[in-house]
Amino acid sequence: MRPEMRFAIGLALAAGLATSAYAADDTIKIGAPFNVTGALSSLDAPALNGAKLKLKEINDAGGVLGKKLELVIYDTKTDPTVIASVASQLINQDKVPVAFGFTDSDSVLALGPIFQQAGVPFITPGATSPKLPEQIGDQVFLACFGDNVQAAAGAEFVAGKLAGKNVYLLRDNSTEYTTLLAKYFEEAFTHNGGTIIGRDDYKSGDKTFTAQITKIKAGAKPDVVYVSAMPDDIGLIVKQMRQAGITQPIVGGDGYDTPLLTQVGGKASNDVYYSTHAYMAADSTPGIQKFYTDYKAAYGMDPENAFAALGYDTLGLIADAITRAGSTDPAKIRDAIAATDGFAGITGSITFPKDVRVPAKTVTMIGVKDEKLFLAGEVKPTFIPAP
Amino acid sequence: MNTGFYIAQQVINAISLGSLYALVAIGLSMVFGILRMTNFAHGDMMMVGAFGTLVLGWLGLPFGLAFLGGIAIGAIAGVIVERTAYRPVRGSADVTLLLTSLAVTYILENLGILVFSSSPRNFPIPDWMNEALQFYDGQITFTQINVATIVLTAVSLGFLGWFVTRTDAGLGMRAAAEDLGAAQLVGLDVNKLIIVAFAIASGFAGLAGILWAAQSGIVEPDMGFTPLLKAFVAAIIGGFGSIAGALLGGYILGALEVFIVAFLPSEVSPYRDAIVFALLIAFLLFRPNGLLNRTQEVKL
Repeated sequence: MRPEMRFAIGLALAAGLATSAYAADDTIKIGAPFNVTGALSSLDAPALNGAKLKLKEINDAGGVLGKKLELVIYDTKTDPTVIASVASQLINQDKVPVAFGFTDSDSVLALGPIFQQAGVPFITPGATSPKLPEQIGDQVFLACFGDNVQAAAGAEFVAGKLAGKNVYLLRDNSTEYTTLLAKYFEEAFTHNGGTIIGRDDYKSGDKTFTAQITKIKAGAKPDVVYVSAMPDDIGLIVKQMRQAGITQPIVGGDGYDTPLLTQVGGKASNDVYYSTHAYMAADSTPGIQKFYTDYKAAYGMDPENAFAALGYDTLGLIADAITRAGSTDPAKIRDAIAATDGFAGITGSITFPKDVRVPAKTVTMIGVKDEKLFLAGEVKPTFIPAP
Repeated sequence: MNTGFYIAQQVINAISLGSLYALVAIGLSMVFGILRMTNFAHGDMMMVGAFGTLVLGWLGLPFGLAFLGGIAIGAIAGVIVERTAYRPVRGSADVTLLLTSLAVTYILENLGILVFSSSPRNFPIPDWMNEALQFYDGQITFTQINVATIVLTAVSLGFLGWFVTRTDAGLGMRAAAEDLGAAQLVGLDVNKLIIVAFAIASGFAGLAGILWAAQSGIVEPDMGFTPLLKAFVAAIIGGFGSIAGALLGGYILGALEVFIVAFLPSEVSPYRDAIVFALLIAFLLFRPNGLLNRTQEVKL
């Protein structure tokens, strides 16, 4: 071995020892893997920022169990291989007793099994697949409603407020989130008596949707177009639809909850509606209002979307569970999370019914008018498709 | 909408998409033709060009100038990469070249993330470009960006055609593509020719990047990856190393992607990319030199 190599390895080992010795007792480590970069950054980055805000609040108030909380943050780059290796790192090196992160199902699916095997609980602030806890196991929780709930809310909104009977369904077929959301929407909408008069697919990352859009124009005229899309694409889809002369309302899920919708869409984003977790504005509920001002003070900008508030709530939920568990033992924290009853978050109250790890929450419907968001309704759907 | 209009609209969609693919594929093919190297960093020149335009716009330049500036910045970045990263390894084994260009890709992308952060940004364009032209009561529409893309691709191709057939540097480039060593033996300044080739290829990438960003409304550091992949497919279909082949391949790919969605049942749409890549494999198996590149290259 060359001497400089040996030196480098020694240095790395020393650094490793130093950090683990430092963190031994004085803080409670909480894993926070987020896709700060890549296709999901416009949702994950705000979620992490929201969580950091909560971290400061908790620590300023004296921490939990007499210790300060410490976030172990990793940027997982919207890349499943990075996510898997970060998961192992959090478990084996950082030895976190609990972690939270991500706003999409695919990322949680890449990380979850590793946490499940290690018996360490994981809460996702924003991945909305209601199947996740069943797919992975009893260590995985959602802090948000499931896609079946938001799709059902969207379906009732379309049939009610928008008086839509015939819907054209366009979906991104490349992610779990968009395909599930489309499936639940169809189930709920047809169950309530509506008709899907046409459907088509595209793939996230496409930059021209004109082929699909021309097809919509060629067929029977729908009342509403439901587009199940990822955040990066929706602004462009809306723009191209309006350019092609499709004037009907465009409806979708919480993937729309990104500043890119109005930035890229511009005037075209008018008459777009989507379901999400909270209405982020200065005239919202008192909890959100306070969050709104604090976020602006901390980051110099308005919260980008509801995921910021979800990140904030999720860390609050974890702190609450650790307090009730009275311990940093992963198994005890897990049981305390499962027993959460009426945790008052700013995105709504969180209760996990027995053996269900997806909370029942109200869905917020947001609309766009004059390139500005407005609260279009709060929906608690009556029919919810099975996960 | 009647069938005639429908087909016409979809053909317009295909030409517009194909133009972009062709523009990227030509640059990729040009570099391959001379250096026998797959330049993965080609997609990043798109990113550099688009961000160049964005920054020049921030500095207050009118869009037209920022647009030209972006192309120039793309071209300069290509030359710098050639000079610093590719020239030292020129003539090495294929795999060395390949890995070098991959390394350059990673460096440029991460540099982009460092400077601009990885969150996608809005790419502002003048309102008139967003305007949709409507014909036959809106039955046929296309936007000014589509028109700009098609026209600019045609102009660039005209320029390239003139350049490689009418100028000394262009003729030299073709000679170098034929046989780099022999070109050097007959006294051509190969280094200069390669720089010119990189400048043109990267300028094309810059242009394509700006058009891509204008169409999608978004710039982000990894925006070059998808177009690079598509251009790669286009170049293989047309014949790697052949400029005409890249052009043809680009339009074939654009047409395929649009027509699979447009004329086959919706149930087939999810398999669009699978069909395209299956075709790619078929080409690699049965016609590895593509449609236009007939001669099997033998190096003695």
